[in-house]
Amino acid sequence: MIEAVDRLLELALARGAGAAEVYAEESVSRRVKVFRGSVEELTQARRKGVGLRVVQDGSVGYAYTSDLSDASLGEVVATALGNAGVADPDPDAVLAEQGDEPARVEVYDPGLEQASDEQRIELALAVERAALQADPRVKSVDEAVYADGDAQVFLASSTGVRGHFREGHCYAYAYVLGEQDGQIETGLSFTVARKPADLDPAGCGAEAATRAVRQLGAGKPQTTKTTVVLDPYVSASFFGVLSAALTAEAVQKGRSLFAGRVGEQVAGPGVTLTDDGIHPDGLASAPFDGEGVPCRRTPLLEGGVLSGFLHNVKTAHREGRGSTGNGVRGSYQTTPGVGPTNLVLSGPTTPFDDLIGAIDHGVLVTNAIGIHSGANPVSGEFSVGISGLLIEGGRVAAPVHEVTMAGDIVSMLRSIVALGDDARWVPMGSILTPSVVIEGVSIGGA
Amino acid sequence: MQLDDLSRDLLDATIRRALRHGGDFAEVFVEDRSSLGLSLEEGRVERAAGGREAGFGVRLTSGDRTYYSYADDISEADLERAADAVAAALRGAAGDGRVVELGPVSVGLPTAPVTVPPSSVETAVKAGLLRAADEAARATDPAVIQVMAGYLESRQRVLVANSLGAYVADDRTRLRLTVNAVARRDGVIQTGYESLGKSLGFEILDEAVAQDMARAAARKAVTMLDARPAPSGPMAVVMGNGFGGTLFHEACGHGLEADGIAKGSSIYEGKIGEVVAAPIVSAFDDGAIPGEWGSQAVDDEGAPTQKTVVIEEGRLTGFLYDGLRAREAGAAQTGNGRRQSFRHVPIPRMTTTAIAPGEASPDDIIAATDHGFYAKTLAGGQVEPASGNFVFGVAEGYLIEHGRLTSPLRGATLVGNGIDILKSIDMIGADFEVKSGICGKDGQSVPVGTGQATLRIAAMTVGGTGS
Repeated sequence: MIEAVDRLLELALARGAGAAEVYAEESVSRRVKVFRGSVEELTQARRKGVGLRVVQDGSVGYAYTSDLSDASLGEVVATALGNAGVADPDPDAVLAEQGDEPARVEVYDPGLEQASDEQRIELALAVERAALQADPRVKSVDEAVYADGDAQVFLASSTGVRGHFREGHCYAYAYVLGEQDGQIETGLSFTVARKPADLDPAGCGAEAATRAVRQLGAGKPQTTKTTVVLDPYVSASFFGVLSAALTAEAVQKGRSLFAGRVGEQVAGPGVTLTDDGIHPDGLASAPFDGEGVPCRRTPLLEGGVLSGFLHNVKTAHREGRGSTGNGVRGSYQTTPGVGPTNLVLSGPTTPFDDLIGAIDHGVLVTNAIGIHSGANPVSGEFSVGISGLLIEGGRVAAPVHEVTMAGDIVSMLRSIVALGDDARWVPMGSILTPSVVIEGVSIGGA
Repeated sequence: MQLDDLSRDLLDATIRRALRHGGDFAEVFVEDRSSLGLSLEEGRVERAAGGREAGFGVRLTSGDRTYYSYADDISEADLERAADAVAAALRGAAGDGRVVELGPVSVGLPTAPVTVPPSSVETAVKAGLLRAADEAARATDPAVIQVMAGYLESRQRVLVANSLGAYVADDRTRLRLTVNAVARRDGVIQTGYESLGKSLGFEILDEAVAQDMARAAARKAVTMLDARPAPSGPMAVVMGNGFGGTLFHEACGHGLEADGIAKGSSIYEGKIGEVVAAPIVSAFDDGAIPGEWGSQAVDDEGAPTQKTVVIEEGRLTGFLYDGLRAREAGAAQTGNGRRQSFRHVPIPRMTTTAIAPGEASPDDIIAATDHGFYAKTLAGGQVEPASGNFVFGVAEGYLIEHGRLTSPLRGATLVGNGIDILKSIDMIGADFEVKSGICGKDGQSVPVGTGQATLRIAAMTVGGTGS
């Protein structure tokens, strides 16, 4: 792969590109899905591709291909240069300069490739078994999946960036259906690690089962304004939406709720939020980002005070500062954007039981759906469908479903009054968060 | 090797190789996709990216087990390796491994002719559409502070061959234009969105079309600046046409996909012939509507697309099948076996789904509603097919008081349960329209259409922050 990267870079410069950057990836991945004790689907895949970004007279052009033949690479150069001719010039369209050493963070464990297909299948089966054995009301395990990815990333540019790393991860999840008196409720749980031996399939299956069956018998609560406790899964969804407003791109383009508010108290005083690109347990950790800038820790909220925004090379250039290593890239098919790596929510914590014990009336929210349609990080509106458990007199009580939870992100952030001691990683977005208590949230039910 | 260089003999050999240790079905899916995407923000065309990816996947099934292997190179060696990988997984298994010899390739005919192939148009012309949209949106109202516009075109060529003798080629052209306007006044920020997506050529786009969409998006954003928080609780809901089709997509459509039926994870399992909706409700899935975004000649298993009536006058009449689930259930394929790319196995997916139009005028529906919520445009939604619980976000909503639209309302989500909601539809309009969207399921995104006329639901839970 590295030969193709060098060849493409040379070709781009030889054909007259002012500046050029090549990003390439090569990966192997596997996925096992089991159902009722046998393999339902087994997929193995090899994937590779290369993308070229050129900057020509201040305009950026991009092209990619999965075909590494010379003819195809030639086409990529022509397409990228052609696209640069169409894009409008931008004084901030620059490539990263050769800079600091890549961050020292280990993101690959050789245990990943040493696992056999039999072991992978057994992990998925173990997840399903644990879920089925957890409770007689478990109807079926709709999805019991093991999956992994082993990827190599290459980056080289005419501005002196040159790097390579290998990243590996694996995960298993269960999506469980519980049934009672014709009512069906669902529960989801994940386990993630760098190598299969570190996964906890039994815990994952059992937790998904618990999350499903404790919702059985759920009804609709009264429409009201109340205190909510977002469990780590739901809290991760909330902060995932919020993080879109914490990029410098959103600020510079007039679509951030937090523009011009650095130094202000925007969240409850116990809230500290950090983008941590080098956390040893974070699946989004890497030695460098999609532009070759070393990954690092960037404080976003400190004791509720807004301390800064996430930058890539372009947004940083516009403000005459350095990138924070948040030039994230979806794949070789896309240009780098700006986004979080791993988000870590921290602050003073309270034992979970005390958290619930202090609430007279409220809702423990354990599932949220419709996040992508009901949460708008530009306007700040946050209105989603939820299910969970009522809290009455300091104790967790009856389950509820078909409920809406609505608020605006800014007020909700300011109304965070406590964090639990139950922090865990949630893989969707790679967020480490405990349960979060928010006061005065609108609940829509009967 | 390119897609066109693949011989019938090589495909046939790959299928036989995959089946050599047993199994009952094997398939090769080959894809070559070229795309171009342009995006504009801050009045500048910021991103112009194009590329091509080609690859194939070999699928082997044995009973209800599926084995899949794919690669992004097309060569004899890669095809052999993939066939060996799936065959190895089945060593010693049952299955007769029968193979029907491939005949001549059949070529899918597009549902509508592509008059101007997008690749024949200069990229600069496409960039011009985005600039025209930007200017038109900003000229609509001084409160418009930002415009994001995007253009996407793709040409996807596929070749499918399987052990049942199917051997089909298809050539799909799609394009889509989107405009997102951001308006701000007195610290309140709102957004407005418009999109147009078709399986047609560049003949459907020009600057006037882009400007109209931009003005509509800008008007939505500006209107919503004056919105007050939506109320919370149960009330009558009038759903607008077009995007309103998301209602059926989420409330019912996902539950009709045959994979969920087979696994017992859909509330519609075993309900064929039963009443699942009000008697005025008929609904269908149609992958063959000429030129629609969700349309194509054949699905990703080579089966012809078709119109499938799923609800007739309130009674459930059918499910949406791919090949595997159709064979398992002894049902006919319905052309709903779709996949995001060669990297994915086909699964049952919707194409364009719609509730059939009625006869009322949209004005009459609102006039007949004393107090309620008018969800003019939806922002998308999500369902849990097992429980039937669904939710969607409202992009543009209004309060209905005494049969008239009064205040715009913001920040509303609607929640409900599939069958309950379909049973409480009590009026359907005649203003049928189809809108384009992207639907995600099992980590796969595919283009879909949602069709609907204005309709009313007697009671549904609205979730906002107001009273």
